[in-house]
Amino acid sequence: MARIQLNNIQKRWGAIWGVRDVNLDIADEEFVVFLGPSGCGKTTTMRMIAGLEEPSEGEIVMDSEVMNEIDARDRDVAMVFQGYALYPNMTIYENIRFPLRMRGVPKEQHDTLIKRAAGLVELTDYLDRKPSALSGGQRQRAALARAIVRQPHVFLMDEPLSNLDAKLRQHMRVQIKHIQRELKITTVYVTHDQIEAMTLADRIVIMDKGAIQQIGTPDEIYNDPANTFVANFIGAPPMNLIAGVMEQGTFTAPGVRVDGLPAKHDGKVTLGVRPEDCTVTADGGHLSGSVYGVEPTGDMTYLTIKVGDKLIEVKAHRDYRADLNSDASVGFDPKRIYIFDTASGQRLR
Amino acid sequence: MASARKRSRGESLALRYAILGAWALFCLVPVLWFLSIGLRPRIEIITPQPIYFPTFSLDAWHMIWEDWPMGKYLRNSVLAIIGSVIIDLILAIPAAYSLSRFEYKGRDDIGFYILSTRMMAPAIVAVPIFFLFRNFGLLDTIWALMLIYAAINLSFVTWIIRSYMLDIPKELEDAAKTDGAGELRILWEIIIPAILPGIITASVIAMIFAINEFLFTLLIASTPDAYTMSVALANFTGGSDGVIYNAIALVAFLAFLPVFLVVVLIQKHLSRGLTMGAVKG
Repeated sequence: MARIQLNNIQKRWGAIWGVRDVNLDIADEEFVVFLGPSGCGKTTTMRMIAGLEEPSEGEIVMDSEVMNEIDARDRDVAMVFQGYALYPNMTIYENIRFPLRMRGVPKEQHDTLIKRAAGLVELTDYLDRKPSALSGGQRQRAALARAIVRQPHVFLMDEPLSNLDAKLRQHMRVQIKHIQRELKITTVYVTHDQIEAMTLADRIVIMDKGAIQQIGTPDEIYNDPANTFVANFIGAPPMNLIAGVMEQGTFTAPGVRVDGLPAKHDGKVTLGVRPEDCTVTADGGHLSGSVYGVEPTGDMTYLTIKVGDKLIEVKAHRDYRADLNSDASVGFDPKRIYIFDTASGQRLR
Repeated sequence: MASARKRSRGESLALRYAILGAWALFCLVPVLWFLSIGLRPRIEIITPQPIYFPTFSLDAWHMIWEDWPMGKYLRNSVLAIIGSVIIDLILAIPAAYSLSRFEYKGRDDIGFYILSTRMMAPAIVAVPIFFLFRNFGLLDTIWALMLIYAAINLSFVTWIIRSYMLDIPKELEDAAKTDGAGELRILWEIIIPAILPGIITASVIAMIFAINEFLFTLLIASTPDAYTMSVALANFTGGSDGVIYNAIALVAFLAFLPVFLVVVLIQKHLSRGLTMGAVKG
């Protein structure tokens, strides 16, 4: 329904930077997720797309039209908020109807559209209730129905699932993705939850300190991180990052030695390896240390190994058990080792 | 064991009722006292000996309605108070919205200035206000009373409503904006219904202040055309008949009754309103 372009977007409040030089081209019908820690600028960027904040510099373009000077109410976007933002004095029916009334949709269409939207989020039986009489999940679905009822050009969702419990979150995630695919509406979704980002997004935009760190599909972000921030932010547990020295294709750090790496990156580098790409070996692995913690989770065992003053996470077989402080040796999958420049944090390829 | 616990719970409940009943009686005694004075013959009130079984009399009741235009005073009071509250709300709601929601230079100073009008002793402005109203030809009119009550109460009504508006999550307005609503629509359809308990609380407090207002009413109202209940009370305190206590008591009771009834009717909203600003729920 709409293509969104952010051209050199910046947001400053006096000396404080909110967003720096954001350039992004969101394709029609695409589902893009802004992912990053609190204060990284993801919500500010979304609010600028909605028209709730004005960029200090740069252009926001929707379908070739510059939107900077256009009021939020005149942009054809619908937003779902973290706190649901349902109007407390209105019933759910009236809440969903509100945008139809504001946009001058003919009255005779209201009932059909409201029931269709409520049906999509399975809320038809609750239309005559006030928001205070609904559970968190029902309120979130009501907020979603209010956003989809008038079929906007763009959906904006600001951490819509963060107030829900884990089970409900998983259910709502599937529902949101299904509705977005069905309605084919360009969607921008903000979250700090990497599982939401990985499962929902066509593309993920990872942000930190107001700047974009990497844009890519979930696979690209996970398997080909651009820097140590992305490598560390994505994955649970995150990627192990070990600072050391590379000399003619051999990486060394206290307790760690990896041979056969590309010889072109000599100097101070950081080696990255994901916990699932580590294998516990009898001995002679790439890393030797002592067992610091063993956490069985049922389907696997999280093993923490202390190497010098650093803790290394390993996803071991679910039957793996070891005594605390016993010796442990770990091998890395050589195809899944990442090398980063220690000073800049950028990936070395 | 269980029956002992049940009995103890029953005793505790009875004790609670007894304490609350005693407290309610303590609060009600002044009201009942002046009602009882109002419904006694005048002679019984001024006797030095206590009278444990007073005679019921409607002398004062007949006097205030037949010898004095009490209906007119009551009507004047009601009109002036309701008018002043309406004026206050019309002015205070947009002012509070602006003070709580928009960012502009000097906003906080303006807010403090509005509140500071309340810090002035009324006597200081009495004379200028008298001349002002005289020049506008408003002396001795209900309109003047409405304006002066509204002016007196405007600052705190604005301030109370502002504090309620500050408690409304900004997300609600952002949602309404993206839904296509303009500022006035947001104020009318979203903000005002959400702070209704606050508006009711501010209105009731304004009504209580207005009904008790005496100085400016005495200044502006010089004939029964603009007398209110509070000034009417003063009519029974002098003159050749001396102080007519039973009439004073009955008029005081009549002045108290409308506010009491309003408070009883809106009790649910009022208690919510008085606590809403304090605790986020």
